[in-house]
Amino acid sequence: METNTGAILTKPALTKKKLEMVTALYMAGPYVLLMLVFTIAVFVMGAMMSLTDAARLDPGTFTGIQNYIDVISNPKYWTSVWTTLQYTVFAMLVQIPIAFVLAYILNNIKSRFRAVLRASFFIPVLINNVVIALLFRMLFSGDYGIINWAMGTMGLPNNTEWVKNPNLVIPMLVIVSSWQWMGFHAVYFLANLQTIDRSLFEAAKLDGASPLRVLFQIVFPMVRPAFTFVMITSAIGCLQLFDLVFLLFPDAGYVGGTARTIIAYIYDEAFSQQARFGYASAAGFVSFFMILIVSLFQLRFLGLGKAEE
Amino acid sequence: MIPKIFGMIILSVIALMFLFPILWLADSAFRPQTDVLKVPPILIDKGLPAMGLFTLDSMKKALVDWNVFLSFINSVYITLAGIGLTIIICCMCAYAFSYLNFPLKRVVFVVILATMMLPMTTMIVPYFRVLGTLKLVGNPLGLIIPYAASAFGVFLLRQYFVKIPFSFIESARMEGAHDFRILFQIIMPLAKPAIAALSIVQFRQIWNDFLYPMLVLKNQALFTLPIKIQFMDSQNLNKPYDAILATGFIAAIIPIVFFLIFQRQFIEGMTGGVKH
Repeated sequence: METNTGAILTKPALTKKKLEMVTALYMAGPYVLLMLVFTIAVFVMGAMMSLTDAARLDPGTFTGIQNYIDVISNPKYWTSVWTTLQYTVFAMLVQIPIAFVLAYILNNIKSRFRAVLRASFFIPVLINNVVIALLFRMLFSGDYGIINWAMGTMGLPNNTEWVKNPNLVIPMLVIVSSWQWMGFHAVYFLANLQTIDRSLFEAAKLDGASPLRVLFQIVFPMVRPAFTFVMITSAIGCLQLFDLVFLLFPDAGYVGGTARTIIAYIYDEAFSQQARFGYASAAGFVSFFMILIVSLFQLRFLGLGKAEE
Repeated sequence: MIPKIFGMIILSVIALMFLFPILWLADSAFRPQTDVLKVPPILIDKGLPAMGLFTLDSMKKALVDWNVFLSFINSVYITLAGIGLTIIICCMCAYAFSYLNFPLKRVVFVVILATMMLPMTTMIVPYFRVLGTLKLVGNPLGLIIPYAASAFGVFLLRQYFVKIPFSFIESARMEGAHDFRILFQIIMPLAKPAIAALSIVQFRQIWNDFLYPMLVLKNQALFTLPIKIQFMDSQNLNKPYDAILATGFIAAIIPIVFFLIFQRQFIEGMTGGVKH
């Protein structure tokens, strides 16, 4: 194995192995260090804080599991969990199937027009949440919004308060997040559909398979990993929704609390006047495990492991 | 043929729905506030003559009166520094996991991948405390350094690095090249597509980030564009809608222009390079 002829380099292989380890240490070291600080150290800090009544600058005193008891017995926390779950389920139910249908139609259009459509679908995902919230708040404004004006011209009610009505919180969030993400999911599905060998479709056609059969027996099995991926990443993203609720419903405290998601709840507890860092850390841990369990359950149920390897 | 045309019409209508808010922003950012905040929309009310009513006043008000230019510079600085540091740190790490042998290699790599699935936003409070302990609150480095720890980056680059023939590395070592030199002079030039994909993902993420900059950048002089817009928008009296829309336009147009130039790279990068 050793072909080096230099006097120094003919030292036993152990030295070479050691050298390689030292190299690995400083190559991977910076990343691993950052990971330790911004993941592990954050967990340790969170675990410690969650057992105290810490506030912004005050380290607080040890209170045991009191914070956890308070979180679990606080209906306001569970309201935020319920809001988040509702949003997650509806957003995914609306976005993912429609995105797939769009991708499917797009895949069957053979034209230069496809690139234009794909670009228009993709653009919303490039815009930041502050601008998106601003735009939708203005377009859906009760008095000067274009949406209400357009509805009025069509003889529909034109005085809906879209961002102030508790009953419209989830629909609004689904509308805005669909605008933001649906096109991106469609482009993702399209990229996967394009990997399917065209000759499979030709063969199916020759065998006289109906379009529905082609869809169920060729297309779905082939894009299954893509569905799994979109569902898991969407769920993790939706369950951590914060920016939109914070920015879309700025007045009236999240529309009477109906728009307060889990992260918004944690944020409020920690960064409002009381600055209950300890309590908010406990709420963070409870939520962390709930979201993680949902993701792991999905992973197991949808079988990403099988699909990816 | 008929269903194809039908599909085309549906897609075009949906594409217009996706573009409409952006077009509205592009139009409103160059109009006086009084023309924006009224219905029917000025373009419909006045028709084509409304095209002559564009003005740069809102842009001037934003850049000069509201000091948005400074926020633009901050956004550019934080984004570029974040992307640069991400590339260096993730390339080094991916190099170790691609070409070097060391104890616990597999375990550490699995841990890195697993961190991608963790809902870390729930840990925002201890995260803020850790940043505070490191004296990184109120400091752009408190954003730039954590951005660089991209697990996705390590994953993406490693996937690309392992495809590079190992003989390249071996022969360079034979000639006595140091690992850093091999990485920077041989591997990185070969891995340009992967580095471009990572840069695009990071660009979108950092340029648009909201929650972390809001917590870290306490000082107005450090605000990035999204935080600046939020600050302007939270004025209770005389909200400067014209300047806000102009700033929103600046924040939105930059990624759109880059996207239009590098469309293929954006789509391949952000869909994770589905076509292997």
